[in-house]
Amino acid sequence: MSEITYLKPKNAKFFRNNNGFLGLKFNDVEYSRVNLIKAFPFSYENKFISVRDKEQNEIGIIEDISLFPEEVQKLFTEEIERRYYLPKITKIYSIKDEFGYSNWEVETNYGRRKFTIRRDPNNFVNIKANMILIIDVDGNRYEIPDYTKLDKKSFKKIELLL
Amino acid sequence: MLELIQGLSDSILNNLKLYQVNQNDIIIAAKGDLDLSGYCSTSYVLGTKEALITIIGDGDKVTYLENKDIEKLSCEQLVSTGLLIATVEGVDYILCQFTNSCLREFSLLCRLFEKIKQGQVLEEKDYKMHELPLTCPKCGSFYEDPVRKICPKCFDKRKIFFRVLSYVPKYKFHITIMLILMLISSALNVFIPYLTGNIFYDEVLKQGGSLFGKIAFIVISIALVKLLATIISILYGRINSTFSSKVIYDLKTEIFNALQKLSLSFFNSKQTGTLMNNVNGDAMNLQYFFHDGVPYFIVNIIQFIGIFTVMMIINWKLTLLALIPIPLVTYALRKLFPVLGVLYSRMFRQNSSLNSIISDSINGSRVVKAFGREEAEIKRFSVVNRKNYEVNVNVNRINQTVFPLIYFFMGTSSLIIWSVGSWLVVNDQLTFGSLISFTGYIGMLLGPLEFMTRITDWWSNCMNSASRIFEILDTVPEVEEHKDAIKLPNIKGDITFKNVNFEYEPNKPILKDINFEIKAGEMIGVVGHTGAGKSTLANLICRLYDVKEGQILIDGVDIREISLQSLHTQIGFVLQETYLFMGSIAENIAYAKPNATREEIIEAAKIANAHDFIMKLPEGYDTIIGVRGQSLSGGEKQRIAIARAVLLNPRILILDEATASLDTETEKQIQEALERLVKGRTTISIAHRLSTLRNADRLFVLENGQIKESGTHEELMKLKGNYFNLVKKQNEALRLRGV
Repeated sequence: MSEITYLKPKNAKFFRNNNGFLGLKFNDVEYSRVNLIKAFPFSYENKFISVRDKEQNEIGIIEDISLFPEEVQKLFTEEIERRYYLPKITKIYSIKDEFGYSNWEVETNYGRRKFTIRRDPNNFVNIKANMILIIDVDGNRYEIPDYTKLDKKSFKKIELLL
Repeated sequence: MLELIQGLSDSILNNLKLYQVNQNDIIIAAKGDLDLSGYCSTSYVLGTKEALITIIGDGDKVTYLENKDIEKLSCEQLVSTGLLIATVEGVDYILCQFTNSCLREFSLLCRLFEKIKQGQVLEEKDYKMHELPLTCPKCGSFYEDPVRKICPKCFDKRKIFFRVLSYVPKYKFHITIMLILMLISSALNVFIPYLTGNIFYDEVLKQGGSLFGKIAFIVISIALVKLLATIISILYGRINSTFSSKVIYDLKTEIFNALQKLSLSFFNSKQTGTLMNNVNGDAMNLQYFFHDGVPYFIVNIIQFIGIFTVMMIINWKLTLLALIPIPLVTYALRKLFPVLGVLYSRMFRQNSSLNSIISDSINGSRVVKAFGREEAEIKRFSVVNRKNYEVNVNVNRINQTVFPLIYFFMGTSSLIIWSVGSWLVVNDQLTFGSLISFTGYIGMLLGPLEFMTRITDWWSNCMNSASRIFEILDTVPEVEEHKDAIKLPNIKGDITFKNVNFEYEPNKPILKDINFEIKAGEMIGVVGHTGAGKSTLANLICRLYDVKEGQILIDGVDIREISLQSLHTQIGFVLQETYLFMGSIAENIAYAKPNATREEIIEAAKIANAHDFIMKLPEGYDTIIGVRGQSLSGGEKQRIAIARAVLLNPRILILDEATASLDTETEKQIQEALERLVKGRTTISIAHRLSTLRNADRLFVLENGQIKESGTHEELMKLKGNYFNLVKKQNEALRLRGV
């Protein structure tokens, strides 16, 4: 008994369209553009990925991207990185608290950023051990992958928030 | 957008020249903040009547598309970024990428592009995103960023202390008396060591002293001075108790009032545990501050100065020597302030989450029991409790280590006096009485200092509490009464939605471009899947939230211009989940109209089919319900809620799943009650069960925040669209259940 349709390298051929989107040929149907959506964005990053068409109907689920050949895996990663755009904070320059808000200036793997978050536990979430997700006032997301690995000065700045 | 076009840099304009486009030709523009691989960069999308030009970086990538080739320009929202997509010959192309911060700007660009394509001429009002207050309502200074309502001036943390003190001037009378008493008591305290030291040893015990041998006199004098000091301190304490309690009483009133004024969105974003802590715990903390902190602080400062002066007069050299350790102690204390602040703040947070878990588990106790998860709940609690314990241990350990050390260093002052002072006495440079006075004084001098170490706890605790309280007081309600709000005492009941867009969270649209007109007295049924935006629609009509774009009109007036009072007294709400307050059934029925007569209440209950079950209760309408009272069944609660709405006699009635989750018999009774209620009012009824809506004049089918179909039941059935499918599905489901 299974309600899940799995996409496997045998029955699903993924390719990159000339317009930059991910395409799929599955059971003789060709989709010019598919979206990849993680079922467990934090606990199983590369497993259980839902493949959906333009209207967001599920075509099937990729159980584990490592089951696919390397060049396809690369396509997946690119597509996922674009959808789940999540700059990783590598260094914290300053955090300034102002009544209910705090202004951050940080270095990320996508360059230096400034943002403001509302002081609310939902905007600074300890998703899993040592990992923190930050959501700013505009709904942008940032990640501290492992706060124990931050340099001492940066860590001191967020110590209070933990 | 217009400012963006005006302020384009030369390098961008140079890029445009290649395509023979001048600054004046540009009519739409948006600025993005990422390049195509997600790195921070700037990108410009600029549009003229003929073409759309995208410039990424400093012209690293430029795309030129003619408007006539672009079938559609759209924004696609990913998790925290957006893509601007142009559809050309049926194929989607990514023009640029941006973070959520720019999403509004780009969606406006897409909308305006659509207008340009249709050949419309853009007017100034088209460029408006939506109204946002640009200035802080308190001080009038501009927000740094209009999207974020942060006033840089009013949000200054250093001002917290002074702001707390600003509550004091209201009580001038109390404070003046208290200050006088404090001064007298300080003077007496300074006098006592002089009496027991210099006068007692040098004048009374020493041969040749002016009071030699008059022991009874000196002892009685000392006793009298001490008695006087005690009486004054009692008087002082009594006045202080009323004063500080009054300050806290006022503060609690102010917080609760502020909470009531806040919009619903505030309560949705805060954990209830934290809120309760705010109102009670934080106000208590401030009470300590006023009761113990500030007055003792002032007394100690005055006493410190007094003692210091007397000591200097007796022997200035010895005084200065004794003061050497003080800068060291002060330095150590200054270092301690911030560390303790951090620790206390963390302790508070831990406490909050502990409270949240407790209330979570107690509120959900039925689910916990039903699934037999008691053990798991205990584990969940113990994890947080453990953390709480660790933080507590940490704070207390630091307190218990650091403070004894500080006391020790303070004690070195006494050592200096004993050694140097004794040497001076032996060499006849200081009288024995003066040395005794000195040792007494130095103890008293250390008293205020010791106090300062204890005030650090209070200080950090209180400032943390105060900043949280002010956070509530300073939150600007999202739904605010218009300055010149119009009173509409007799609403007719016409409702119009014009291009209404709404979202709870930034960029997650719930309602998209809703347009409809409802005539007074019409009954409208709203159907659609869960999460389609049905309840949101109802919330907007009541103005529990404000629309993000577009307008809602009642009788042709924008609801943002109607006074909240006339709105809320003429719109009735019956929800699926009914909240009954602590109090009698009669009070609950009369909740929205407290001056209702007993006849009116009974009549309302009768219309709501509630009268009979109420009469079966031994205490009738006086039965106490709510948290500690009698528990009523879902159907009974629902009928009380309907009676509440009946009594209000609203012009507009909103039924949000009012009959869901009830058994068929109860539903029939409630259905009857509702039919009586609906007569002659504009009614919007939201329901899952389509049978409930059989009396509706028109039906709206809502899907993904848009009205997909509207019309009468027959019209929609003929259409064979979403509604038809819904009806078919429900009939099948009913048949399966054998109903």
